[in-house]
Amino acid sequence: MAIVHEFEYFKPERIEDVIKLLSEYKGKARLLAGGTDLVVRIKDELESPAAVIDIKGIEELKKLEFREGKLHIGALVTFTDLIDSDIVKKQFPLFWESSKTIASPGIRNRATLAGNICSGVPSLDSGPALLVYEADIIVRGAEGERVIPALNWFLGPRRTALKEEEFVREIVFSLPAKNHGGSYIKLGRYKGEDLAQVGLGILALEGNEYRLAFCAVGPVPSRAKKIEALLNGKPLTDSLLETAKRLVSEEISPITDVRATKEYRVHVAKIMLERGIRAAVERIDGNGPAYGERLI
Amino acid sequence: MEEFKFIGKSVKRLDEKEKVTGAAKYVDDIEFGPNLLYAEIIESPHPHALIKSIDTSEAEKIEGVVKVVTGKDFPYKFGLYMKDRYIFAQDKVRFIGEQVAAVIARDPRTAQKAAKLVKVEYELLQPVFDPIEALKEDAVIIHPDLGNYPHVPWFFPKGGTNITHRLKLRKGNTEKGFKDADFILEDTYRVPRYAHCCLETHIAVGLLDYSGRLTIWASTQSPYTQRNLFADALAPLGFSHKDIRVIAPYVGGGFGGKAGVTMEIIAAALATTVKGHPVKVMWRRDQEFYNTYMRQQVVTKIKVGVKKDGIITAFEMANYWDAGPYAEYGANVVNASGLSATGPYRIQNVTIDSYCIYTNLPAAGPYRGFGYSEMSFSVESHMTRIANAIGIDQVEFRRKNGIKEGDTVAYGAPMNPNGLLEAIDKVADEINWGEKEESKDPNKAIGKGLSIFWKAPAMPPNVTTSAFIKFNEDGSLNILVSGMELGQGYLTVMAQVATEILTVPIEKIRVELPDTDRNPYHWQTVASHVTWASGNAVKRAALEMRDKIFEVVHAAYHYDKDSLYLEDEKVKCKLHSSFELPLKDFVINGIQTKDGTYRGGAIVGSGSFMPEFTSAKQDPETSQGGHPNVHYTVGAGAVKIEVDKQTGKIRILKAVEAVDAGKAINPRNVEHQIIGGLLQGLATVLCEDMRFDENGKILNPNFTDYKIPTFLDIPDEVVPIIVEVPQPDGPFGARGIAEHTMIPAAPIIANAVEDAVGVRVKAMPITAEKIAMAIADEKKEVDDFLMIMKK
Repeated sequence: MAIVHEFEYFKPERIEDVIKLLSEYKGKARLLAGGTDLVVRIKDELESPAAVIDIKGIEELKKLEFREGKLHIGALVTFTDLIDSDIVKKQFPLFWESSKTIASPGIRNRATLAGNICSGVPSLDSGPALLVYEADIIVRGAEGERVIPALNWFLGPRRTALKEEEFVREIVFSLPAKNHGGSYIKLGRYKGEDLAQVGLGILALEGNEYRLAFCAVGPVPSRAKKIEALLNGKPLTDSLLETAKRLVSEEISPITDVRATKEYRVHVAKIMLERGIRAAVERIDGNGPAYGERLI
Repeated sequence: MEEFKFIGKSVKRLDEKEKVTGAAKYVDDIEFGPNLLYAEIIESPHPHALIKSIDTSEAEKIEGVVKVVTGKDFPYKFGLYMKDRYIFAQDKVRFIGEQVAAVIARDPRTAQKAAKLVKVEYELLQPVFDPIEALKEDAVIIHPDLGNYPHVPWFFPKGGTNITHRLKLRKGNTEKGFKDADFILEDTYRVPRYAHCCLETHIAVGLLDYSGRLTIWASTQSPYTQRNLFADALAPLGFSHKDIRVIAPYVGGGFGGKAGVTMEIIAAALATTVKGHPVKVMWRRDQEFYNTYMRQQVVTKIKVGVKKDGIITAFEMANYWDAGPYAEYGANVVNASGLSATGPYRIQNVTIDSYCIYTNLPAAGPYRGFGYSEMSFSVESHMTRIANAIGIDQVEFRRKNGIKEGDTVAYGAPMNPNGLLEAIDKVADEINWGEKEESKDPNKAIGKGLSIFWKAPAMPPNVTTSAFIKFNEDGSLNILVSGMELGQGYLTVMAQVATEILTVPIEKIRVELPDTDRNPYHWQTVASHVTWASGNAVKRAALEMRDKIFEVVHAAYHYDKDSLYLEDEKVKCKLHSSFELPLKDFVINGIQTKDGTYRGGAIVGSGSFMPEFTSAKQDPETSQGGHPNVHYTVGAGAVKIEVDKQTGKIRILKAVEAVDAGKAINPRNVEHQIIGGLLQGLATVLCEDMRFDENGKILNPNFTDYKIPTFLDIPDEVVPIIVEVPQPDGPFGARGIAEHTMIPAAPIIANAVEDAVGVRVKAMPITAEKIAMAIADEKKEVDDFLMIMKK
């Protein structure tokens, strides 16, 4: 299938040129990194930008660096880069685990984290990791840089805090101050590549501190604040878990579509909460199932 | 037992290296030169509407557009068994996605752009999507002229209704059978639509050259049938069969979806409007879903009575098939599967009614299994429930009622030799039938399921095939046949059959892909009949060549023909052990005699085959009296699964299937068919889940939401088992096994799920969601049918 829509194509080598082009096209330009979302949407005529700015020629956006307890992920870093990174696997294992559930190897070789979060879809597998690690998104615009906490990033389905003439330069993950374990569980229809019907990322920190975030069960990926409030400060017990599971339906608002019914999503979200939190807690001390192992 | 040199050997596939290295050419790989044009189709956005007007003027203005074609350019009907289909919609559209017009342009982009400018004005009509709704008296009639449509004599369309065919089968006295029964179970099962999902989407390129020759290159299972239907439909334009040539390069998957004619006729028709220019029509993935064939949806009502000892006394069934708006092929699925809907059981009293019903969902038709998979889901689910209800082990129940050679099938013909009982025993043994196993994980339960199956080729009674074989100077062979290599290993098997007679090493044989100008007639590569039928034709051609060889040797050396035999590419003589004459020395240039003259000449062979015992002359009220099927292939499948009681997810620990190949000409190919077919069947029961909105629009015509299993999803272990009870009229005893291998998949899963967690799922697919929600809601039976989604 050919792309019918006509657009201008630019491949700048400097960030300044990207900013200039974005200002020039006033929201009518789209950035191209991996293209796994954008190209398909242009083909399907869901988007018709006047200009496509290919940023793949900008070397500094390819950097993936860990310095002073912070992981800097440039806009061109792909999911394969993340999965292949020992730092990500060792220091941010929940993020590593969720990255492995995204699409298929072929797509992950092209698709970038920055592109992923800019798509802002409700089923975003990287969403829970961003939210529980409380990452920062560094965006550049004509007026310089600003930092948008991941917690403020998602505004609605395919809507983010990014302004029209801005772009994501990098995403920064800070290492949690305490020892931690995590888990990301994804409900798909089979083991192959699928879009999440429910995604749940859980970060368990030493000292009974918990951070939980869902995706695919509401308009945006979001933290489960009520469940966190219930759990925080308490050691994990069966009865506490049962209470937490009862709160799941208050935290999420899934829809019924071709992928699953809302009833099944709620049902499995509770199972995921139970299995995920147990795994996350066990993993704090290096016990429990290995990262990457399927929990559902 | 006869010793074979080439038969029963897993020789390397002839097409292996070509396909692995990427050398194999598919239609889209062929260069058609700078004159090539591209077509883009204008499709109906409505499921049922009258076409009021079509305005092509804006599209025609676009630079690069060569022509815009609409239905009025081709007011011709076509169809395989019934003419109810159009090249382009005429006055009416009947499903979302139906072709209304086409833009032909110099490049695909221009064609797409211009297609958007074609304006079609519609007047909406009431659509109907449910086959049972479509039977109601006040239902909208999709084909008001149905009563006038030409069709084969074994179809019984009812004009003025949406019933395009009704199969009626009566054997014995069902009423009495139920009276005699100690236990009766009655229920309804539903199977949704499915898509073939070939890796290669449909593609056809048509070219009308200046000599008046119309050539079509197509990804097809049916080059000759396509030529026949093209010639028939385009006859008003002056074409006859000899003017039309269909060339069939390799195919990236068929599964029934590339049988008969669907979109290929668009390429043929469009080519006639742009003489000298090839026109390419290639389906996108979404078009592949909605505008070829789909597998039909069916609602099955079934009632079976048994004695306490498990003997079946009566079988009653009604099938309501949703064929979509064009049933030219689908009605034969209904017919064939209806005749055999009992499955491989010996039953004295049978009542079957199968209705082929028009709806406004996309056209449905042949799909691997040809209706038997759908019947198998209901019958084999039902038989398991009955056995369990009366306390007889399922395997015992099936052994007791399983059909044997000489038993009478439901339409009165005798059953052929078969290894059904052996297949049952072998699969039961392989999964340790009768041994209850427990999972180590308290959240999980293990269950086992078993099912038997049969299938006969569904073909017209006088279906025919032929073969040419020719020797080359070096004694190598070219075999020309028109069966299609669909990945099943057809080419290799034909070489094995030929050379079992001619003794030429496989490496010295080429089997050519179909070209209707060069290769002789073969009906279509469907019905799992090519090994059997085409194999017989090839064998006859080889025997004819052997006769000619002996004739020449006799003429030159005066040895008695009966004393001659072939071995290792040489003619030898039983009476003169020193005599050996290499084939290459004379099969082209003959044998020189003492006086310097020659005997012989190029040795060629031809063979044709048609079953001469079949007939479709059954009584329409009972289906008795004919002999519609050549024979059945039987088998059994079983599975051991682990079900997560919380999430409902199924892991297949072991899947096993035994099929009676008669004689496995290439055992490795048979094993691969078993594995592949079983996995395809498991996909339909576990993954594939087609959905439509309330307006009949498919919601998941893509692999994002229509799921085909990946390597991660295949069973932990698959065990293929070959049973060999020879087919007397098959080449070296062989019969077909291809479609069959997917038939038991759905019921073995349904049966295993019930065994594991006590939930009976009566509507496919059997998803994790259905199982988990049933367990959570403490339901024992699940009827949820989700194919058409309510708002």
